[in-house]
Amino acid sequence: MAEIEVPSEVTGTVWKIEVAVGDTVKAEDTIMILESMKMEIPVEAPAAGKITKILVSEKDGVEEDQVVAIIES
Amino acid sequence: MKAAVLREQNKPMEIEDVEISKPGPREVLVRPVAMGVCHSDLHFLNGSYPYMLPTILGHESAGIVEAVGRDVTYVKKGDHVITCLSAFCGHCDKCLTGHMSLCSSPEVSRKAEEEPRISQGGQPVHQFLNLSSFAELMLIHEHALVKIREDMPMDRAALIGCSTTTGVGAVFHTAGVEPGTKVAVIGCGGVGLAAINGAAIAGAGQIIAVDMVDSKLELAKIMGATHTINAGKVDAVGEVIELTQGGCDYTFEAIGLKATAEQAFKMLGRGGVATVIGMIPIGTNIELHGVELLAEKKIQGSNMGSNRFRVDMPRFVDFYLNGKLHLDEVISKRIKLSDINDAMEALKTGQDARHVIMMD
Ligand SMILES: [Zn+2]
Ligand SMILES: [Zn+2]
Repeated sequence: MAEIEVPSEVTGTVWKIEVAVGDTVKAEDTIMILESMKMEIPVEAPAAGKITKILVSEKDGVEEDQVVAIIES
Repeated sequence: MKAAVLREQNKPMEIEDVEISKPGPREVLVRPVAMGVCHSDLHFLNGSYPYMLPTILGHESAGIVEAVGRDVTYVKKGDHVITCLSAFCGHCDKCLTGHMSLCSSPEVSRKAEEEPRISQGGQPVHQFLNLSSFAELMLIHEHALVKIREDMPMDRAALIGCSTTTGVGAVFHTAGVEPGTKVAVIGCGGVGLAAINGAAIAGAGQIIAVDMVDSKLELAKIMGATHTINAGKVDAVGEVIELTQGGCDYTFEAIGLKATAEQAFKMLGRGGVATVIGMIPIGTNIELHGVELLAEKKIQGSNMGSNRFRVDMPRFVDFYLNGKLHLDEVISKRIKLSDINDAMEALKTGQDARHVIMMD
């Protein structure tokens, strides 16, 4: 079991969270959608696993490299 | 309606039927007549910039208003418009200090809980940059368009919707090029050519165009370049320093690469400013030689030409119609929506200046 951090690649605002804690995801599944400079930018799962933590809420601001969720794989 | 839907990065787009919603109170339904195929569409197609899929690309368009929402008074059915991705909210700090292109307010999009503007079988199709031009209809916020003169040809108006505004705006607004100064532009695609044309309008004394394709350098001369350099044959930085006898007052990078952004900085003379217009892929850092900063050299980014597009675009239309802005030469091919994938392939080779889709 490894805990994998899911970072945001860009600075933006959380527009929509697409998963819930306990969901199983595949690599490259969309975890959440950020709005940055009016672009919809997906945050994708770096690996397959189970979502154990979601560290932000919709409308929150996030920074580049900020960890927004944790996956257990 | 029909649209070119992108389902997977680096895969061809397919012409599919999608549903478009009804205009909300502040929304406008536009029937695009002409749409440019822009290099930044390619960045999203190949994934160097991530975007939600499926989506409909296209963000450089001109068309005719088809219907307006309840609260829209700025335009009416039949008006000719250019669309712009710099939709502004009109009341944030950035908007109120005249920097509308930096507005990041999400209110020009529909909220996550609202019905999406575009969908297919009940599933959302993500609107690209609040526009999604490669379609028969566009449903956009009223602050994502500007009214224009009806004697302006639509295909050339479309170019003003992105490449012209990005290039000319970088020269006029981001950099503020002064008459008589020395300018170099790296990259002679649609945006670079527009920057060269903008520098000529601004009265720059020396305008050096840099590219690796001779046909583009020929176009650069038509735009107003006083000198051209084929960077595939000579050391562009050394050549620019020599031609300007010590470096430029202003340089513009219109490709979006680490190497060329760094070259733009190296081409500066004392006190010069490099403006990076190109979209450098996410995750790429650029390096500068620190000591150069002692000579007060500067580097800055430019997004959509720091535009105030409701003011700028009608002026650019006038520039075209009175012969100062050269758009006829920029359009290399007029195509149909169904030819979109070929146009994207052509962009990858970098040979052609610009393909414009014409709707029937
Ligand atoms: Zn563009
Ligand atoms: Zn605003």
